[in-house]
Amino acid sequence: MSEQQNYEPRVVAFLCKWCSSAGSDLAGVSRIQYPPNATPITVPCTGAVSPMYILSAFNKGADGVLVSGCHIGDCHYIEGNFLARRKMQLIMQLLEFIGVEPNRFRMSWVSAAEGAKFAQVITDFVDDLKPLGPQEKLKKADRI
Amino acid sequence: MINIKDIRDTARDMLAKGEVRTVIGYRRGSRGMPAEPAFITSPEQADELIWDPTCYHNLSLYLVHDRKISAHLQKNSGLPIAIVAKGCDARSIVVLMQEHYFKREDVYIIGVSCEGTGVLDERKLASHLNGVQPTLAAFDGDDYVFTTAEGEKRLPAREVMADRCLECRIPFPKEHNLVFGDDKTGRQLAEPFAALTKFEEQGNSERWDIWSHHFDRCMRCFACRSVCPMCYCDECVVDSITFPVTQQTSAAEKADRVRWIERSAMRSENITYLMTRAMHLAGRCTDCGECDRACPVNIPIRMLNNKMEREAREKFGYEPGASIGGPSLVASFLDNDPGDFIR
Amino acid sequence: MSKKRTGVFVCHCGTNIAATVDVAKVAKEMAGEDSVAFTQEYVYMCSEPGQESVVQAIKDNKLDSVVVTCCSPNLHEKTFRDNAKRAGINNFTCEIANIREQCSWVHKDKAKGTEKAIKISRSVVRRVSRNQPLESIAVNVTRRAMVIGGGIAGIQAALDIANAGVEVVLVEKQATIGGRMLQLSETFPTLDCSQCVLSPKMVEVKRHPNVKLLTYSEVQELAGSVGNFRVKILKKPTFVDPDKCKLCDECTVVCPVVVPNEYELNLSARRAIYIPYAQAIPASFTLDEEACLGLNPVVCGKCKDVCEADAINYDMRPETVTEDVGAIVVATGFDLYDQANMPEMGGGKVEDVLDGLQFERLCSASGATGGHILRPSDHKEPKNVVFIQCVGSRDPAKHCAYCSKICCMYTAKHAQLYKHHVPDGRAYVFYIDIRSGGKGYEEFVQRTMEDNDTLYLRGRVSRLYRHNGKVRVLGTDTLSGQNVEIDADMVVLALAMVPSKGTTEIAKVLKIGRDKDGFLAEAHPKLRPVESVTGGIYLAGAAQAPKDIPETVSQAGAAAAKVIALLSQATLSRPPLIAKVRPSHCTGCGMCVDACPFLAIRLENGKAIVNEALCEGCGSCSATCLRAAIDVKNVTQLQIFEMIEACLA
Ligand SMILES: Cc1cc2nc3c(=O)[nH]c(=O)nc-3n(C[C@H](O)[C@H](O)[C@H](O)COP(=O)(O)OP(=O)(O)OC[C@H]3O[C@@H](n4cnc5c(N)ncnc54)[C@H](O)[C@@H]3O)c2cc1C
Ligand code: SF4
Ligand code: SF4
Ligand code: SF4
Ligand code: SF4
Ligand code: SF4
Repeated sequence: MSEQQNYEPRVVAFLCKWCSSAGSDLAGVSRIQYPPNATPITVPCTGAVSPMYILSAFNKGADGVLVSGCHIGDCHYIEGNFLARRKMQLIMQLLEFIGVEPNRFRMSWVSAAEGAKFAQVITDFVDDLKPLGPQEKLKKADRI
Repeated sequence: MINIKDIRDTARDMLAKGEVRTVIGYRRGSRGMPAEPAFITSPEQADELIWDPTCYHNLSLYLVHDRKISAHLQKNSGLPIAIVAKGCDARSIVVLMQEHYFKREDVYIIGVSCEGTGVLDERKLASHLNGVQPTLAAFDGDDYVFTTAEGEKRLPAREVMADRCLECRIPFPKEHNLVFGDDKTGRQLAEPFAALTKFEEQGNSERWDIWSHHFDRCMRCFACRSVCPMCYCDECVVDSITFPVTQQTSAAEKADRVRWIERSAMRSENITYLMTRAMHLAGRCTDCGECDRACPVNIPIRMLNNKMEREAREKFGYEPGASIGGPSLVASFLDNDPGDFIR
Repeated sequence: MSKKRTGVFVCHCGTNIAATVDVAKVAKEMAGEDSVAFTQEYVYMCSEPGQESVVQAIKDNKLDSVVVTCCSPNLHEKTFRDNAKRAGINNFTCEIANIREQCSWVHKDKAKGTEKAIKISRSVVRRVSRNQPLESIAVNVTRRAMVIGGGIAGIQAALDIANAGVEVVLVEKQATIGGRMLQLSETFPTLDCSQCVLSPKMVEVKRHPNVKLLTYSEVQELAGSVGNFRVKILKKPTFVDPDKCKLCDECTVVCPVVVPNEYELNLSARRAIYIPYAQAIPASFTLDEEACLGLNPVVCGKCKDVCEADAINYDMRPETVTEDVGAIVVATGFDLYDQANMPEMGGGKVEDVLDGLQFERLCSASGATGGHILRPSDHKEPKNVVFIQCVGSRDPAKHCAYCSKICCMYTAKHAQLYKHHVPDGRAYVFYIDIRSGGKGYEEFVQRTMEDNDTLYLRGRVSRLYRHNGKVRVLGTDTLSGQNVEIDADMVVLALAMVPSKGTTEIAKVLKIGRDKDGFLAEAHPKLRPVESVTGGIYLAGAAQAPKDIPETVSQAGAAAAKVIALLSQATLSRPPLIAKVRPSHCTGCGMCVDACPFLAIRLENGKAIVNEALCEGCGSCSATCLRAAIDVKNVTQLQIFEMIEACLA
């Protein structure tokens, strides 16, 4: 149990530049504290997130993957998040189907004005990941 | 009921009139019962064509090959190719045309209805014949009739039919130039996605146990990809052996390919491959079953594709191979696509 | 590709970063990266000496690329890219790693913060190691502007732009420009007549050679981007030719249809053919198609018969006009919070409970009562009036969380106006706080309290209902701790200001963001308050946040200045971060073509081709292509792949 508590999940967070990355900036400006487990990668749009990125992150040992972008209707590129919503639904279903814990993949809408929400999304995600322990299923085994 | 004579006459006639370059169909195989793909180029060969329960191959793969060869030779293919296509095969052809792989006028589709008897699953048959080798299979009403050394053996088709045929929603090639057999759409033998639903009833960890076992066994022979008409990419993103090099390809480009996975057939790499492939076939796989059949280690690949097919259908109202004109599943969206999974 | 020589510059940001992140360690780690040739840390990288040291280091160490690990790229990406250029290298080989907003400010544990900062920095270093030098794409600018919304904000912006010699199209949804200000009687803090200040400006808009006025019109579609927008506008038919209409008013006399007058906030009625106000611009009648009996001489046709000027034409049809402009100002204003949401305040169903704008109309000489304050139920002069502030505002649990900013002021004004009209009347004001920041504002409120003998009660109203022909108001005076019960002749609610319906609509059409309350979102709350996040689209007035007229006018002027500055450039440079196809891998499947939101891709000879002028670099194509045959420059799949690797190293 104590090992479980000490375990720090490693999260890759794909944030769209216009909303969620700006939202994370606002969380920063507002000094809202959240766990340091998620490393952000800023992409132009959630629509630019290839399902390969998610598989690849898990393959490289991510314990959780987050994709976060603008709310529906607010996409800077008009339709990018609509396309993402579909793709992410599919990859999420597929991961669950083969038995990956549903809580390992998450998607959220965080606008540039939602600093507090951004912090909450990360906090919740990390909280949900902790009980799952390290992700070994999709992770490339260390070289023997 | 399909009369093979009709198919042969059509092939002979079209070749004689010079309307098509080749007729792709099925003929007697050289290793016993199963049929094999036939490429008929002269009217005299037309009588080689057959139609029986072992005609499970999705011949549209050879349309892909043909296009690749003519692209390589940089010559215009000229006359269209005629192809014998079942419902699922014809839908593959539709997807290929939807993806502009060739034009409608390049293909002459000789549709054959499965009439609800589908095609054979050899693995199922093996358990019925107790080691006896059949030499011939034939349709007869709702039965398959097998010729064996010990005489004729009759089995209800539904007992040895491929799962996908049992579950097939439209056993009829809607897109065709000519079609033989009756449209028995609606004559559903099993619930669509029945096998999938059954599998999904298990819990998360049970599913993982089963899948991880399968993933362990994949040896990345890529038979599934080679046999799939939808995997027509010049270079597969997850395996860059086939990197297409043209005159414009720079050294940097060659060096800079993304190596999403490693070569060695480790479980993690196999998963990434098979998951990528499932994602890439979402909205494109027409459940022809070839990958599943081709896999030498019996990995139930169909289940992955089936899962995506059901998601597409239930969540997005999308049917692969339904129309040549519309956008692909992942290149489009609806305003009311479900989004309740998003926080 | 030959190996990069990247310089990594780690900023302490005073202690903003250094307190949580071991900057020296970050620098040391980065020095170990293959592509890194130089590292440096400095207390304020963005200061003059900091910037100089970057330029110098690039020159001295023959660097070809730069990573500055500091604050959000929104703040200093441009600064450091300019420096890169100044130092003689390509600006697109410079990237920012955000270790302040995304790291040091949100974490306290130094070890973990440092670890995360290293991951962030390393991933950006890896990205930069594959960044291509790129040149911005120059595009011509359409030297015309559009202002959407013809309230005081829109009017001011349009006039300022027009006066700078730039042609401007002003699009207003209603039959007249003027917006809410035209509904006000007198305005705080000077109590000058609202219409008297506004009307001349409205006339100027109409007459200005550089202004093209489209009233009764709505924007339907937007295409293009900064410098070159194409806007589709629906012009609804008014069925009256404004050039012919002589304002004789004969038509309204004969029109048999009577409907509530929305311009008078339903305090009075109008005909199906009507003019919103005497001061309306364009000065013309409008036929309300929905109210009219049928636009058909067989059915009615009375107005057309009586119109001597022959201005009425039943055959007018909606018209779609397309305007090309380089910049847009959105000034679509506010509405009041819907009373129906406030059952505790009667839910809009209790007679003689008015909203602030209705009260303005009662005070206005041009209003339904000719400037006499008469209560709607019996047209008698109310002898005691309760004004309630903060109705729907500052109530995060049930209504709007924010302060509507101007209600304290206009309620004070209302109390004064009431006392001017009804000197023997009694005014009560329920308030929570008085917020009267602004030139002359506090004095104005004091005058209301002292000279005008208005009773200010600190507290909330809990309920109101009809009682014996009056409105009974139950509340508490939190200063005395007493419950208060007032039988009022009339109650005026200072309802929260909310974004207008038109604002919500236009945000969708233009795809510009809204904040959590639905107001239009500015690009930066402090540094870019009049810009939307979308380049070339600016914000003005109450559509962006609750504000009064002086603030609205200032913001409109600021937006106009931005537009003029933008349009004074001959060409604009577009970021070159656009999609690029690998023809060897493209099979011409067309999935990217369908996915591209900007119709920027077409198929030619079986390969995808990107139109550089249209591509916005969103990457939707790249995530859709199965074959990784299309990538956005400098955010390629290979780069992201290596960034993922760096994050998990
Ligand atoms: C009761 C009350 C009293 C007030 N008293 C004072 C006062 O005394 N002093 C003071 O300084 N301020 C006062 N104000 C504030 C003042 O009304 C506002 O500051 C001002 O009206 C804001 O102007 P605007 O142009 O931003 O918005 P608006 O006046 O709301 O104008 C917006 C315009 O845009 C149009 N529009 C909306 N959507 C679209 C669309 N999609 N397409 C085209 N056009 C569209 C609308 O029809 C409207 O004409 C008061 C406000 C209230 C509610
Ligand atoms: S799933 Fe089967 S056919 Fe496909 S690569 Fe693996 S072993 Fe080969
Ligand atoms: S994935 Fe398998 S079943 Fe689907 S089209 Fe390809 S070969 Fe056929
Ligand atoms: S798995 Fe995907 S990339 Fe590979 S060949 Fe199939 S469709 Fe192409
Ligand atoms: S999606 Fe990819 S393969 Fe298809 S046309 Fe576009 S770039 Fe080419
Ligand atoms: S990046 Fe691709 S999808 Fe996005 S605008 Fe450019 S071409 Fe279109």
